[in-house]
Amino acid sequence: MKNIASRFLHALSLASLVVASLGIVGVAGAAEEALPSLSYDQTGERLLKVDSHQLFQSINGGETWREIPLPEEGKEGRVVTAAVPATAEKALYIAGPSIGVQRSTDHGESWHEVDEGLPSQDVIAFTVHRNQPETLYAVVVDDGLYQSEDAGKSWKKMDSGPTQTIRRLLHSDMEGSMQTGWLYAVSDDAVRLSMDCFCGWRPTGELDAGRVYDVAYDLDDPERVYVTTDQGLWRSDNGGQEWQRVNGDGTEKVALTLAPAGTLYALDRDGELMRSEDQGQTWTIADA
Amino acid sequence: MHNRWTLVTTWFLLSATGQAVAGGGPPSSDTTLLEDGEKIYQQYCASCHGIEGEGMPNWERQNAQGELPAPPHGPEGHTWKHSDAMLYRIVSEGWRDPWNKTERLTMPAFKEILTPAETRDVVNYLKTLWTPEQRRHQAEESEGAPFPAQSE
Ligand code: HEC
Repeated sequence: MKNIASRFLHALSLASLVVASLGIVGVAGAAEEALPSLSYDQTGERLLKVDSHQLFQSINGGETWREIPLPEEGKEGRVVTAAVPATAEKALYIAGPSIGVQRSTDHGESWHEVDEGLPSQDVIAFTVHRNQPETLYAVVVDDGLYQSEDAGKSWKKMDSGPTQTIRRLLHSDMEGSMQTGWLYAVSDDAVRLSMDCFCGWRPTGELDAGRVYDVAYDLDDPERVYVTTDQGLWRSDNGGQEWQRVNGDGTEKVALTLAPAGTLYALDRDGELMRSEDQGQTWTIADA
Repeated sequence: MHNRWTLVTTWFLLSATGQAVAGGGPPSSDTTLLEDGEKIYQQYCASCHGIEGEGMPNWERQNAQGELPAPPHGPEGHTWKHSDAMLYRIVSEGWRDPWNKTERLTMPAFKEILTPAETRDVVNYLKTLWTPEQRRHQAEESEGAPFPAQSE
């Protein structure tokens, strides 16, 4: 027990840019299905999962989960995403409709709103910059994309976003951007991409696969990107310019993330964790 | 094409929102610099970006060669999303979209053609094509990313 607790604290103290792009709970007001969400905190070496209005972390690849307390509003069920910056900062962020953006530096014991500069607390997607721990991105419903460069103290509207509602947002440090990186935006119909100067959304490759759920990229090789859809998993080796279908096991995956060494993690609709070491071809239940 | 009065009015708007374009000098010299910028634009940029900065048709999609066409510089484009530092760099070093199917710089590098001051003038001229709101946004983005010092 003591051992687990100390490993837990160790993991947390390492937490740097944990952008746990955890789940999306749907749009404010709309009784939308709450899908679980998943992200990997590279510094803390932990998985973060948002499921049924609860936040969990696992430091052993999903064998066991430990709950991280959410603020009262979070328990009422609108946390969409959890995220951790990737460097030097023990910050954990959560975001969602009606909870806005909140930050904890004590492993969830206390949460602080960092969304005063946002026009509303109806945040439907959120991510942290891959290498800049204080740069945050939030999508406000029916409004657009906001950026903070001071860990949420102030926010600035950068873009009204693509016309389709963004469900998930992910910052990548893939090369080729005019600025510092790229943003993947997952909508129900497609994955779109913009440089982080917000100078234009581009479609990614043709993906005729029904509903799109989530996107993830290889931390060691950001051009390698995966997207999970109604019709299974797809992979790109060039940042999303073209997608190839991965002949997986056919189980539905609604959330996706990558750990170092290319380990893929996914959640099914019930929040069950699966792991693949062979680029998505075979999967094992993580806590079996 | 912008006449002198448009430029004067634009200069007035720019300074009124606290963003004097070329910094420093008295009004008349700012206006002159904008006129210089417009001349440079018409001579070196208009062939691709359009006489009024309207860009090429279907500029948001790759053309038959797999290249992104020259975008507009006005409110409908995204030139205003770039800081002064970035705009200077694009004009000076050139640029190609990383997803283009060719390797050439579709936006040519002008550092052998334009002096640093001319590069700055033509970028400042582009600002006259934006809305006041866009100018304000871009001025804020440029606070931490101004023109390089050698262009003064
Ligand atoms: C030979 C055609 C050509 C000429 C001449 C040209 N450009 Fe471009 N320019 C382009 C193309 C094509 C792009 C888009 C590159 C891309 O993103 O792939 C571009 C992009 C740009 C951009 C970035 C715009 C954005 O929204 O990201 C700026 C700024 C720019 N040009 C300014 C200028 C200026 C100023 C001049 C004149 C000094 C000039 N260009 C001359 C073709 C040209």
